[in-house]
Amino acid sequence: MRGRGVCAVLIAVVATAGCGPLSDTHHRPGNSHEVATAAPVPGEAHAEITVEAGRVRPPSGWLEAARGQTVSITVTSDVPDELHVHGYDVEAALRPGEPATVRFVADMTGVFEVETHNSHLVLVQVAVR
Amino acid sequence: MTALPHGTAPWGAGYLDVARRGEVLIAHGVGDRADLPIPLFYAYAGALAALVVSFLALGLLWADSRFRGDRAGVTLNLRLPARPLRVLTLVAAAYTVGWLLLGPEAGNAGAYLVYVLFWVGLIPASLLFGPVWRLLNPFRLLPDRPRRPLPPRLGYWPAALGLLAFTWMELVAPEPAAPPTLLAFLTLYAAAQTTGTLVYGHGWLERGDPFEVYSTLAGQLAPIGRRADGTLVLRGPFDGLDAIRPAPGLVATVCVLLGSTGYDGFSTTPAWVDALQSGPLGRAGLGTAGLLAAIAAVALLYGACLWLAGRIGGARDLAPRFAHSLVPIAIGYLIAHYFSLLVIEGQRAVILSLGLDAEVNPDLVSPPVIATVQVLAIIAGHVAGVVAAHDRSVRLLPPAKAVAGQIPLFVLMLCYTLGGLTLLLA
Repeated sequence: MRGRGVCAVLIAVVATAGCGPLSDTHHRPGNSHEVATAAPVPGEAHAEITVEAGRVRPPSGWLEAARGQTVSITVTSDVPDELHVHGYDVEAALRPGEPATVRFVADMTGVFEVETHNSHLVLVQVAVR
Repeated sequence: MTALPHGTAPWGAGYLDVARRGEVLIAHGVGDRADLPIPLFYAYAGALAALVVSFLALGLLWADSRFRGDRAGVTLNLRLPARPLRVLTLVAAAYTVGWLLLGPEAGNAGAYLVYVLFWVGLIPASLLFGPVWRLLNPFRLLPDRPRRPLPPRLGYWPAALGLLAFTWMELVAPEPAAPPTLLAFLTLYAAAQTTGTLVYGHGWLERGDPFEVYSTLAGQLAPIGRRADGTLVLRGPFDGLDAIRPAPGLVATVCVLLGSTGYDGFSTTPAWVDALQSGPLGRAGLGTAGLLAAIAAVALLYGACLWLAGRIGGARDLAPRFAHSLVPIAIGYLIAHYFSLLVIEGQRAVILSLGLDAEVNPDLVSPPVIATVQVLAIIAGHVAGVVAAHDRSVRLLPPAKAVAGQIPLFVLMLCYTLGGLTLLLA
């Protein structure tokens, strides 16, 4: 799930998707305007997942992270949906075909499911040690 | 690219704003985190301890049965106010149903009250104080006027089915924490217990109420025991276990507890999660098949090993008479799987149900503490099971064959214990 190849791919995706400028507003609750997030920074635990016709690619697995590490998960869904990281309770709206990234600091240990609310799919489980 | 996170700190005040809906595949019905796999070293240490204890037991333990079951213990002159306690339970049950019926979608305490405080909490409560659900059971407020005697063939089968239904809801149902799911289960449960009690009297609850059976079986290990005649006694856990009387469905009940907890262990592994959401049977279909297969595997292994023990030991029909030795193993599994849930989500249950202005502390138990408790629970269950089975063997089998006859039993328990440890690694 980690690795520089993935980073390069994501940078390309970010570039082609034409995302807006970086912002720190996702650290501030209650700020409803959309937030663009950057490509995974080296040292982050990163997963990139596609949901197509109800199938999760790559198949639902584990994303290992060390406690205190930043986790970023980029999801592209073919249907509108909502992404939810259990335990950390980070959510993101998914729009068809548009990659969305959630990013959080893994400050609790345990295994946490990342799922979609409408299609009820477990995309990945984040294992924080 | 959008990200709409809620709240600054994950466990901060904004936490309750997050809708908890459509929760899927959560291992224990509720809860947002699962335990990390235990370190490999813990598993090896546990497995080695189980092996050594088994062989020591085989060679060194007593040659004549020592446990006295129902006759053991020091009588306690204690009369508990059962009626007021049962009325209190009824009030607590009404409060829970009130949450489920009227509570908000987000931050509803109902599911936490049922899955954490009631279902998981019954284990430590019973291990400390004996058969607590018998004492608290609100259905015992109904009159004890049997219209006909309880058919002996029924035995524990209704409880086994009830436990299967509950664990199915907890581990397989599409939305285990949704109020409609829980209300449907509670309605069926209440209807079954009311009907059973009105027809067969309180004798039904002893065998047919899944939670009373669950709490009474766990409570056999408690220092406070209840004899068949109702006397409360102080006794050791092995005398308590020995007092479990074989009955139809007892093996099935214990196998449901072991098998469902085992399924709980592998149901969140990536391979199974992937199969559940991409397989042709659908999530509920494959989940049901997996749960039933886990229970059947536990039961088949038990049947085969007991058959072999009977062949070697020259005795017949041993299966029901060794079911008591599986109880501590099942309790060990349950503690290993639910310990962190009780400690962490138990806080949430209390905070939500009482509306406290407090936060859940997810660091109350660290991963090494959780792993230690898990391995110790599995090994303690194994040791207790081996000792209980040994004592029963030397009572039932002829002295010349008692040692050889126990070998299949130890193999059986090693399989359960190594299986349990493997699940903690997954």
